[in-house]
Formats: sequence, structure tokens, C-alpha cells
Amino acid sequence: MSTRRGCLGCSFPVLIVIIVIVLAVGIVSFLSGALGKAMVGDVGLPEIFTVEAPHVQLPAEPIFHIGEFTITNTLIASWITIIVLVALAWAVTHRIKLIPSRLQTLLEFAIEWLLNLCIDVAGEKNGRRFFPVITTIFLFVIMNSWLSLVPGFGSITYTVAEHGEEHVLPLLRGANTDINFTLALSIVSFIFVSYFGIRYSRILFAKQFFNGGRFLRGHGQLVRGKVKSGFGEIFFGAIDMFVGFLELISFIIRLVSFAFRLFGNMLGGEILILMMLFLMPFLLAVPFYGLELLVGAIQALIFGGLTLVFATMAVTLHEHEETH
Amino acid sequence: MGDLGLNIPQLLAQLVSFLVLFALLYFFAYKPILRMFDERSQRIKESVEQAEKVKEEAAAAEEENRKKLEAAAKEGQEAIARAMRAGDEARQRAQQEAQVEAAGLVEKARQEIQREREEVIGELRQEFADLAVAAAEKVIEKSLDKEAHRELIEKVLDESTTLDKE
Repeated sequence: MSTRRGCLGCSFPVLIVIIVIVLAVGIVSFLSGALGKAMVGDVGLPEIFTVEAPHVQLPAEPIFHIGEFTITNTLIASWITIIVLVALAWAVTHRIKLIPSRLQTLLEFAIEWLLNLCIDVAGEKNGRRFFPVITTIFLFVIMNSWLSLVPGFGSITYTVAEHGEEHVLPLLRGANTDINFTLALSIVSFIFVSYFGIRYSRILFAKQFFNGGRFLRGHGQLVRGKVKSGFGEIFFGAIDMFVGFLELISFIIRLVSFAFRLFGNMLGGEILILMMLFLMPFLLAVPFYGLELLVGAIQALIFGGLTLVFATMAVTLHEHEETH
Repeated sequence: MGDLGLNIPQLLAQLVSFLVLFALLYFFAYKPILRMFDERSQRIKESVEQAEKVKEEAAAAEEENRKKLEAAAKEGQEAIARAMRAGDEARQRAQQEAQVEAAGLVEKARQEIQREREEVIGELRQEFADLAVAAAEKVIEKSLDKEAHRELIEKVLDESTTLDKE
């Protein structure tokens, strides 16, 4: 080792060449971006280096219509995600082996990790019950966000003629950046939690929202002449009902917060990368790509994890009741 | 909400997409992979149990071998002891037989010697008698009656102890 001189795993000449290339790319991207143009002025770089000002649009762009139904670019992207995931699963499981191949090991690692997460949170029996839905949510979200980071994903454009005007639209757009997708996913999560809550906690699940038993009991006591305890029961019964009402509101608000959390994070990330590309092409956006990889994984984990936690709480309501 | 792009057909389309993905993954990923997990853990359990069993069997076999070996060694020892005893007996018997035979031989030889001795004595007597008759004839120059002489000699010989028949 003592005879090898160098830095960062490269010999000095190689390192110098790399530094020069990075500097050149940096300067070109600085000059061609909006940031450089504002500070230095247009130096007349070829048009290929310039990036148009990003056009932020919240709704998904329609690509074509089938009858009344509009196919948007986010819908196409979500179908591509489905195809990729199912192809991956099929490639592994159509000849699944006891001694796994590399690809099988990868998929098994992911599945086992999620299964263990479910079992850790919800217990052995409920964990296995929740696992398919939680895993589908997780894989769908993470694959949506990671596929939209693949180079070229947003660059494929499609020209639509509408009202005599020609629009150039991206053919693909991450499904996570469409409110319809995130809301659909949170509806799935909402129905999933409610289904298991009603199935395993039965009346208790409804009782946490509509808890008027004490209030009515208080009236009964008033009628029977126990004035003091009757008013007490009515008072605390009213508090119970109010708490139940708050629970109901928060349960329904969850639906919205799930949808907007994912939507906001993903759309924000997308816009952030577009802005960085606009301000300083090539170089500045690279760290943000790394950041978005992380954000995609975290959002997938949050969506799946929260659904898992709420479902676990919903099925274990009677256990809480017993401990009180 | 319109600004966000929310509309019901799109929402339903994404919902259907999710359900499709769920169904496909359920049959192509979760079911086979979970079954594989179970199968694998089952297989590992079986292997461990089998290994345990084989180990026990090996221990039992070793124990049995040891016992067999011990038994064989004991049997061998016994066989050797028996053989030695048999050998001793045979030797003793042979010794006895040899003794008996030797005694027989000695007896036979003694009898032979006795017989020969008697024979020789008889011959000697005859010769001696004849010699004595011849000598007496010479001495007295007179032939005695042969029969009378013989009787005389016999008498003398009978009186002497050296050539006794006994």
C-alpha cells in the first residue's frame, strides 16, 4: 500500500481528470441554468444545454380518451408500476426454489422484512392477516416513486392536439403525484382499517365514535328521581359523546391526511427536482435525486406503517377496554 | 378540488388499479413466497430433527458395537481358556497313557528277560550237566551209567543256590 500513492481510490492523474470533468460540467450547467443566466448573463451556449422553465401543473395531464373515460399519464405510470411489480414477482415465483436464486433472495428479503414488520406490530395472527394489503401499499408507493426517478421517465413526451393547439405533454408522470391515486390508496387504507375493526372489535369499533350510553343512562336516573347522579351522568355522558365525535372527525380526517401527505411529499419532490434542473442543469439535481429515493422509501413506509398501526389499534379495541 | 385534478372516474380507475395489483401480487408473490417460507422452515425443522435422530442412532449403534465387541472379547477369552483346559486335559491323558504304555512295556521287557533268563539257565544246566558228566568220565576213566549220573548232577545242582530256578 505504501508504494501506491493516490486519493479516494484513484491515482492522482485519474483524480485530476475527474476533477476537471466535474468542473467543466459544473461551469456549463451553471452558465446554462437560470441561476447563471441571471448572474452572468447569456453567454450564447447552444440550445441543447438550456432547460425550459418548468411548468407546474397539479392535475394529471390527459393523454387520450376511451369513450368518456380519460387516460391520464399518471394512470399509465401506475399501470407500468403494476406491470413491473407483477413481472418481478412472476419471474421469481413461476419457478420458485427452496434454495433461492439471487433475484428470489431479493424479493424474499423484501417480503420477509415486511412480513416481520407486520408481525412485530400486529402480532403473529393479525400480522399475517394484514400483510398482503400493507405490502401491496408499500410496494405500490415505493415502486411508483422510484420508477419516476428512472432517467427518461419524465422525458418521453406526447403531443396532443386540442382545440387546434398542440400540447407537448410528458407521457409518464409518477402516480404518487396524482391526488386521485393517493386518495384511492387512502380509501383502501380506510376501508381496510374499518373492515378489520368491525370484524374483530364489532360493537366496540362503533362505540368509540358514538358513545351515548352514559348520556341516556343519566336521563333514566333523572326520571327515577336520582337528580344528583343523573345530572352527573348527563354531564360526563356529554363529554363521552363529544370525545366520540372528535374520534370520528379524526378518523375521517385521516383519510384526507393520508392522501395529502403522500401527494404533497411526492409532488413537492418532483417540483424540487424540476426546479433544480432549471436553475442549474446536470449537477445540482443529483443530490436531490438521492434525497427523493429516500423520501419515496420513507413515504411508502409511513403509508404502510400507519395503516398497519391503525388496523392493529382497531382490532385490539377490546383488549384496551379490558385493561381499563 | 378541481384545481388538484380530483375527479371520480380517475379515482375509481386508480382504485381498480390497486385492486388489480393486490390480486396479482397476492397470487404471484405473497402466496407462493409465504408458502415457500413455511416449506423452508418446515424443511429445516425436519433436517434438524433428522440430524438429531441420526446422531442418536449413531450413538445407539456405537453402544451396540461396543457391547458386541465386549461380548466377542469375552467369548474369545472363554474359548482360549477352554482350549487351554482341553489342551491340559489332552496332555495329562497322553501322559497317563504314555505312563501306562511305558509300564506295560517295562513289564513285557521284564517278562521277556525272565523268560530268556530261564531259557539260558535251562541251557546252561544242560550244558553244565553234560560237561560235568564228560569231566567225571575223564576223571574216573570209567563210564558211569549216563542216567545215573544225570540224576546225581541234578541233585547237586538243586542243592546249590546259585543256579536256582527261582
